Amino acid sequence: MTTLIQVLVSGLAIGGVYALIAMSFSITFTTTKTLNFAQGEFVAVGAFLGVTMLYVLARMGGGEVSFASLPPAASAGLNYPAAALVAGLVLGALGLLLFAVAVRPFAGKAGMNWVMSTIGFGIIVQSLGLAVWGPAPVNVPSPFGDDVIRVAGAGIRPQEILILVVAVLLMLGLDRVMRGTRIGKAMRAVAANPQAASLMGINVAAMMLGAYALSSLLAGIGGLLVAPIASASLFLGMGIALKAFSGAIVGGLDNPRGCIAGGFALGLLESGVALWSAEWREIVIFLLIIVVLAVRPNGLFGARSLDKV
Amino acid sequence: MRDILIAVAVALAAAALAGATDNDFYLRILFSICVYFLCATGMNVLLGFAGQKSLGQAGLFAAGAYAAALLTTAADLDPWLALALATAISAGCGVLIAAPSLRVKGPSLAMVTLAFGIVVEKLVTEVSDVFGGAMGIYAIKPLTFAGAPLSMAGWVFFAIGLCLVVHLLVRNLLVGRFGRAFRSIQADEVAASAVGVPVLRYKVLAFVIAAATCGLAGALVAQQNQYINSDFITFNLSVFILLTVLFGGSGSLAGPLFGAVILTVLSSVLARWTWIEHFVNGALLLFALYAMPRGVAGVVTDLIERLAPDPRAAGAEGSAPHVLALPTRPGARTDAALLEASSLSKSYGGVKPARDVSVTLTEGHIHALIGPNGAGKSTLINMLSGIVRPSEGRILFRGRDLARCPVHAICRLGIGRTFQNLRLFRELTVLENVLLGSHDRMRNGFLRSLVGLGGPEEAAARRRASDILAFVGLSHLAGAKAGSLAYGLQRRVELARALATEPYLLLLDEPAAGLNPQETDALGDLILRIRDQGITILLVEHHMDMVMRISDHVVVLDYGEKIAEGMPAAIQRDPRVTAAYLGSDDVTLTLARPEALAS
Repeated sequence: MTTLIQVLVSGLAIGGVYALIAMSFSITFTTTKTLNFAQGEFVAVGAFLGVTMLYVLARMGGGEVSFASLPPAASAGLNYPAAALVAGLVLGALGLLLFAVAVRPFAGKAGMNWVMSTIGFGIIVQSLGLAVWGPAPVNVPSPFGDDVIRVAGAGIRPQEILILVVAVLLMLGLDRVMRGTRIGKAMRAVAANPQAASLMGINVAAMMLGAYALSSLLAGIGGLLVAPIASASLFLGMGIALKAFSGAIVGGLDNPRGCIAGGFALGLLESGVALWSAEWREIVIFLLIIVVLAVRPNGLFGARSLDKV
Repeated sequence: MRDILIAVAVALAAAALAGATDNDFYLRILFSICVYFLCATGMNVLLGFAGQKSLGQAGLFAAGAYAAALLTTAADLDPWLALALATAISAGCGVLIAAPSLRVKGPSLAMVTLAFGIVVEKLVTEVSDVFGGAMGIYAIKPLTFAGAPLSMAGWVFFAIGLCLVVHLLVRNLLVGRFGRAFRSIQADEVAASAVGVPVLRYKVLAFVIAAATCGLAGALVAQQNQYINSDFITFNLSVFILLTVLFGGSGSLAGPLFGAVILTVLSSVLARWTWIEHFVNGALLLFALYAMPRGVAGVVTDLIERLAPDPRAAGAEGSAPHVLALPTRPGARTDAALLEASSLSKSYGGVKPARDVSVTLTEGHIHALIGPNGAGKSTLINMLSGIVRPSEGRILFRGRDLARCPVHAICRLGIGRTFQNLRLFRELTVLENVLLGSHDRMRNGFLRSLVGLGGPEEAAARRRASDILAFVGLSHLAGAKAGSLAYGLQRRVELARALATEPYLLLLDEPAAGLNPQETDALGDLILRIRDQGITILLVEHHMDMVMRISDHVVVLDYGEKIAEGMPAAIQRDPRVTAAYLGSDDVTLTLARPEALAS
């Protein structure tokens, strides 16, 4: 029972991050039919920007602090939300740049060159990150402290609760926007047919830019959310983004709710497998993804696409 | 032939360079160039020709490296045998990675290959009792020559020789029907299968070729270092291999060489500053995609063309004699029906574009399929050519049941087709498009093509193709890019491509759509001439004057059902047909004004 709660909580927490990033994939995919293959680097850079912000705030508050292991006080109060805001905004701006440089020239053309161009953009971002912050991992304190809370014998970290709450709130808000507002409808129209959408008076370029900014913003916030429970290095993002992507694909990229479900499912699966063997965790998960895609190429909840001849 | 000489000359020059230096650092750079050249050569087949993106080549590199390592240590095999086996093992892994990729497309395919790379990376890192993890595997047996392990210079010579052999084999494959088939898959899988290219098999083949060369490179590295650990196998390696192909020029035979030389030298210069090397790789990847989509090879080709224009490209071929015979395949004429479709139905959920349709096609006739828009004409053509599977009913063609036949096999049995919305291989020349039609009529298999014995078969195919081009009157455009032609000409190229499959039955889906009246008349005459060659034709058409002029038998569909069939004259008088077209019984079908019927 204790183990079950433990698996459930940590699975839901990490699953919340996966779902958030999976949602970010879905946002750009439903609008532009492209994805950011550098989302992992974006997550990592988001985390480090947030940590840098925490560090700067701590320094301004006086006292010597080390960047690599900030004291718990650094995240206290409004510092953490402020850092998240900065990480989100800067990443959002980075997303605009990514769209202009690496997506726009290739979107909608044959050959899917945007896969490679976004990877290239990610490599550049990561290398600049390495130049600034170096490859070593840093310790990030959680705003609610790192003391484990005991619930029915299972140890739960406050950050895990925070991740879950923030992720769920963000996703509920986005789901509302996508389904219930004109902006959401416009985004879906752009995805279905950019030309027709622009003839209907929708500003297609703005929609696409907005989608990339929003998607990158989520990556930035996701990065800072996950940093306290992971060893935060610049290489942290790859695994997260890949699993989020897997969740998105399993749930169906064109189906935001499916993406969220897929993200959570993957988190639970991961923490379940980790119970059995931490080393085999990722191997099992990715093998499973390959098998799922081989059997159901459009994911479990994705719509089947027909190629009209 | 000239490119073979250049390849040999480059290899000799590289060997001379290796012989002239005994600086270990330079020799290592040369060796690395060879390693990445091998990876890129195979990857070029997969990415540049077959158009499949693989982000997991590091996994195949690992398969070769660790196979060589384990075979020479744990299994204590001869190092040469281990090298060969390692290549074979990674080729096997290529099948493994190809299998899911066959069904998956787009971003998901990138994901599957990426996941494969990660799985292998994690396996060699975490399963340390077999693969040694970060500690790695020591004492891998190096290759030996005359009993002694190869010296560094010896390794370089051997690697250069290997590169030359691999390049020539791949080149032989790519200049003939295999290269064309790969490129057709990249351009349009549906069209490729409709002209007889077994798409799945060729995709697997491309994956296997890429896997084998990557595995070979991995095994070389492991044996030369006599050590391998998990740090070799990273996502960055996969990206680097991809970058080598893209930067060098994907789809070009010289591309891998340019990519491997430039990027390896650059990497060794920048290796001191990790993040700068990293940055440059990323920037080059973006730059190559953005500024030179055909890579360095493309830039070089353009430069050569500007400095010394190719005389062959400038002048068109002289007017070919008007050939009146098409290549056709031998086959006993049957008195029975050529094709018998009985009770065909198709439903997509609630939509039923075909309901209990039966048609019989007679050898040597021109059959026309008419009906208002949405009557299910294209669906019927698609079912006959295998692109759409009927929900019910069966199709007998020359006594064979087509129910279980894949599209390319139906083409092989002798059904050729064109598409309503042109599906040409736009980036290929007119001649190449027609040659692709002959793909399945050519008898040189993989091994014969690989060792360069496909020449006579290729020459024969080219003769047939130029006969066909003369027949349809396109000889003067043989060297033009298909996508650059005017619409009406593109329609004729597609027809020529379908004729090159040497069909018994030719399915034409609105061949006159978009043509002006003169072109439509000429097309009608051409179709009659094709019929006179003994080829049976079924055409979907809205131009009623042409239908009535050339067809021997007309089938009318409406809402997925056959409402009438018979001689053109009888159809013209049929009240049901009038009703279907004009919605009322008392309006006469005005055949003099075909535009009233056209969509």
